[in-house]
Amino acid sequence: MADQRSHFHSELDALESSILGIAERADHIVGTAVDALVNADVQMAAAVSREGAALAEVYVEAHTRWLNLMALQQPMGSDLRMMSALLHLNVTLERTAAQCVNIAELARLARGLPTSDRIIRRIEEMADLVRPMIRTAVHAFQRRDPDEARLLPAMDEPVDEINRAMYREVVDCAPDERLIEWATHMMMAARALERIGDQAVDIGEQVVFLISGEYHGFSDEGITGRS
Amino acid sequence: MTSDEQTRGVAPPALDLTDGAKVATVNSTDLETIIATEDMNVYYGDFRAVRDVTMNFTDNEITALIGPSGCGKSTVLRALNRMNDLIPTARVTGAVIYHGRNIYEANVDPVEIRRRIGMVFQKPNPFPKSIFDNVAWGAKINGFKGSKSDLSDLVERALSKAALWDEVKDKLNESGYSLSGGQQQRLCIARAVAPSPDILLMDEPCSALDPIATLRIEELMLELKQDYTIIIVTHNMQQAARVSDKTAFLSVDVNDIGQRTGRLVEYAPTDRIFTSPENDETEQYITGRFG
Repeated sequence: MADQRSHFHSELDALESSILGIAERADHIVGTAVDALVNADVQMAAAVSREGAALAEVYVEAHTRWLNLMALQQPMGSDLRMMSALLHLNVTLERTAAQCVNIAELARLARGLPTSDRIIRRIEEMADLVRPMIRTAVHAFQRRDPDEARLLPAMDEPVDEINRAMYREVVDCAPDERLIEWATHMMMAARALERIGDQAVDIGEQVVFLISGEYHGFSDEGITGRS
Repeated sequence: MTSDEQTRGVAPPALDLTDGAKVATVNSTDLETIIATEDMNVYYGDFRAVRDVTMNFTDNEITALIGPSGCGKSTVLRALNRMNDLIPTARVTGAVIYHGRNIYEANVDPVEIRRRIGMVFQKPNPFPKSIFDNVAWGAKINGFKGSKSDLSDLVERALSKAALWDEVKDKLNESGYSLSGGQQQRLCIARAVAPSPDILLMDEPCSALDPIATLRIEELMLELKQDYTIIIVTHNMQQAARVSDKTAFLSVDVNDIGQRTGRLVEYAPTDRIFTSPENDETEQYITGRFG
């Protein structure tokens, strides 16, 4: 089959690669940010901030390319759905990178405060859960695989559980005021990691939209329509 | 709605379409089928130009017919008001049901059909007459019996509906040719609406117009659909997307000796066609992956 719009389709493929490239880098800086946090390593935290700023530039550049393609090429059908999904992905991944920068900022604030091994283990556990979620979401998108995307809500459940339990962990740090201060920063980091997990689920929802043309929000029980 | 329901509408009430029938109009606000084709085939001699088209057109909606060159869009359009009768070798099988009657029945008057189902062509084609006479022509040949004042009112109403009145009200006696291309096309629309049709057929009405005049016609179509059912053939997918409620995609099969026969591939709400078409052929056409 001849492609009468090969120039546009090449540009669309390149834009997809560029945006999914943000996801791969975001996966990496989730690990770096959590390492910086649990080790109170300000140099590592600064590296995360620099990478976050670099990804913000990629986001702006991708958004400009997206806008130009939309205005100049007027895509339709599956191309239009891809454009819609890419716009969503670009914003979602920019937010993921921003959450990593937030975690890095918490690493700076937590420096010099007493720590709790128990809470650190929970934070590391969350990072170990959300990083595969990002990779699964990107892989499902690349393969246009809604079945793989539908794995994400189940992968997100333990992340949500740890985040919900974190409040109790922080309360247990009382009455040590300095430990409470540190633990509060960890609770905010846990919230950021929980958001990163949700953002991976959002990408999975976009995979289903890309293939079916219908928007479905994933729920814990499976898929429920909300279009 | 099932595809069967989409393609076969509810038969509207019967009207007398025979020669000399009393003029009547149906401008129902209910969304119902006003005209439908059933297994319609159009032949030019032995050559079948379009095959097995079954679709309905909904009252007070704009339906766009899109597809590659030679897919039979214009042939389908012209079959809806028996315009193909003017081609000696053309014949139609199947049925075109309009107000409960097959318009190809022997005793149906094609002139009455064309009065009720007006047509606007690709190239503006005003008569070499005054602006006033261009619009009054339809009423006059239909034996208009009203006063001169009534005729003036009819012309003003038609020109107003075509969004041209304000531009020409002070020069009604000037030639239709004195107008710009976009104004001439709106004059042709005024001429088409003057006999109070139900349906307006538009065969690429903007392809000879500049972008501004095109947008003017598109806006006008959106206003006209309050009173008329509009069926438009367009090569411009963006135009179909902008103006139509439903879109039909036609494609073409080429046989061993190079004859091209059009067929209906998919017919659905326009937003569906241009975001998530069901048929792979439609998807390939609208994304440019074909040929």
